[in-house]
Amino acid sequence: MAIYVLKRLLALVPTLFIMSVIVFIIIYLIPGDPARVMLGDGADEATIQQVREQMGLNQPVLPQYINWISGALQGNFGESYFLGKSVMAAIGEHAGPTFSLAVLALLLSLCTAIPLGIAAAKHQGGLADKLLTAFSLLGMAIPGFLLSLFLVLLFAVKLKWLPVSGYASLQDGVWSYLKHLILPAVSLSPLMGAIIARMVRSSMLEVMNQSYVKTARAKGVSEHRVIYKHVLRNALIPIITVTGGAFGTLLAGAAVIETVFNIPGLGQLLVHSVARRDYAVIQGIVLFIAFLYVAVNLIVDLLYVVADPRVRLE
Amino acid sequence: MTKPILEIKELKTSFKAYNGLLPAVDGVSLTVNEGEIVGVVGESGCGKSVTAQSILRLFDERKEVKYEGEISYGGVNLLSLKAKQMSSIRGNDISMIFQDPLTSLNPVYPIGEQIVEAMLAHQRISKKQAMQRAIELLQLTGIPSPQERYHQYPHQLSGGMRQRVMIAIALACRPKLLIADEPTTALDVTIQAQIMSLLARLNKQLNMSILLITHDLGIVAETCHKVVVMYLGQVVETASVQELFQSPRHPYTQALLQAMPRIDSERGKPLTVIEGSLPTLNQLPQGCRFVSRCSYATEKCHSASPILKPVEGVQALVRCWNADLIKIESRSQGQQARSGGEDHVIQSVQS
Repeated sequence: MAIYVLKRLLALVPTLFIMSVIVFIIIYLIPGDPARVMLGDGADEATIQQVREQMGLNQPVLPQYINWISGALQGNFGESYFLGKSVMAAIGEHAGPTFSLAVLALLLSLCTAIPLGIAAAKHQGGLADKLLTAFSLLGMAIPGFLLSLFLVLLFAVKLKWLPVSGYASLQDGVWSYLKHLILPAVSLSPLMGAIIARMVRSSMLEVMNQSYVKTARAKGVSEHRVIYKHVLRNALIPIITVTGGAFGTLLAGAAVIETVFNIPGLGQLLVHSVARRDYAVIQGIVLFIAFLYVAVNLIVDLLYVVADPRVRLE
Repeated sequence: MTKPILEIKELKTSFKAYNGLLPAVDGVSLTVNEGEIVGVVGESGCGKSVTAQSILRLFDERKEVKYEGEISYGGVNLLSLKAKQMSSIRGNDISMIFQDPLTSLNPVYPIGEQIVEAMLAHQRISKKQAMQRAIELLQLTGIPSPQERYHQYPHQLSGGMRQRVMIAIALACRPKLLIADEPTTALDVTIQAQIMSLLARLNKQLNMSILLITHDLGIVAETCHKVVVMYLGQVVETASVQELFQSPRHPYTQALLQAMPRIDSERGKPLTVIEGSLPTLNQLPQGCRFVSRCSYATEKCHSASPILKPVEGVQALVRCWNADLIKIESRSQGQQARSGGEDHVIQSVQS
């Protein structure tokens, strides 16, 4: 097991390397000049050239990349032109809000999706099943930013129960922390919830046709136990897979919602950095997200072993 | 010895299809006495498995099926019980084992736990006692080193072992009746013999009745006391095993016995088959259901359905208009079948 984890972590190296090359090339292709953006409209050409020289932007791509990667290999991902701090520090500051938001959104999705999926599978074609179809269609169809605006209008502007935007860290108190996260998390969860609920339903239905479920019934155990002990446990693997994917997406893709609610998360940092042509930060965030994705997938694979004794990791 | 334990009267199990009810089992009556092994034979689709599963009401009654008739166990009609009462019969008074042991055990739980679960569902017994008893059951069903096996998962066991575990689960609450639904179909021949002799041993040792569903006449000849032959959802003949093999009266039973490959048949000669094919349930012929494939069919057979009735000279009940006329094809088939149907098959394949 430990060896397996080590191997998987080692496999991260080429993945991250390839990612870094791609990101570097893409950034190089983006029109715009960080020096010009940094200095503002009034700057004269000589100063711009001077700054470009300082930042190493006049070098060809390859030396620029080698320069960057040699730093990265030593744990130095560069400095942010704008923030005046190291990229690592910037990511560290912004990771907390994103992570909190992702976890809360995922919890909300799971708490609605799993019971709904189970109920739909138990009574196929029944009320819960129709509800699930409606819910998942809606969840997939409504864009998060639109839903978030409606939610803000209702709960923040009209009812004034929750703040319109902003973020409070856990140190400011649990309620304050949650209060700021509820609306963004609720905006994010329908899509994930819809995907997970559909997977729970289809996976459960598939397992219900297995003969060991018939064996369980023939043993005389209660229907409740048949569903929760025998069916759900066997239906877990595909559910874990989509949940992992959903979590990865939440970690990486909350930029829009973070912008709407002005949450200082990674998504917001990324969007701002792209606007500022803050190359080092963009590079750093993309690599960090790639790392998170791989890490989430590794955790998913490890969970397979817990869910199904037949899975052996080698 | 002849106290009836299970009496099925005119059982009708219909599946709800988009174009109405399809009666997969249509008026089946049979009796299982205490300590008896009753075989139910017939080709695929004749409703033998559906009959077996109807006894425990394993189909979903809201969506899938409709049961009619009576299944009487210990004076109670199982079909009239509430869901909860039915659960207390399942696995406790009546147990069941299935066709494919490879898929019948839950892959994510250790086998011991699955045996214990059956006990905890019905008995007031501590987990520790249940575990002890599960190990005894594994031993009883012939599983070596049961202590270690207890903690293993189904995928770590062979097919034969898994069927033994299934049997152990079925025996967990000492049921009075075991329904074995083609218990050896998915197993190879040597394992098949072991499982059948295990069942026969348990029948004697525990005085447990067995309802054995099979399409293997060799197995029937070897283990059963009584045989019920089914065709298209109906019982066409019930007889003691000796009678059935020595003087089969229903044309279908005769055809089945003739279709059995025999060790002494001429080499190179094609195997006997029953001509024609099974009509589907929504295109049942008028009159006798076997009429389209029967060589004895007369006018009457085409127009009116025969009923199951006693026949002159034998104890058997036969559903045929011509049962009294059909000459008894005297044969010592019974004896030969006893020597193992499988050998015949192997021989004929080689020849």
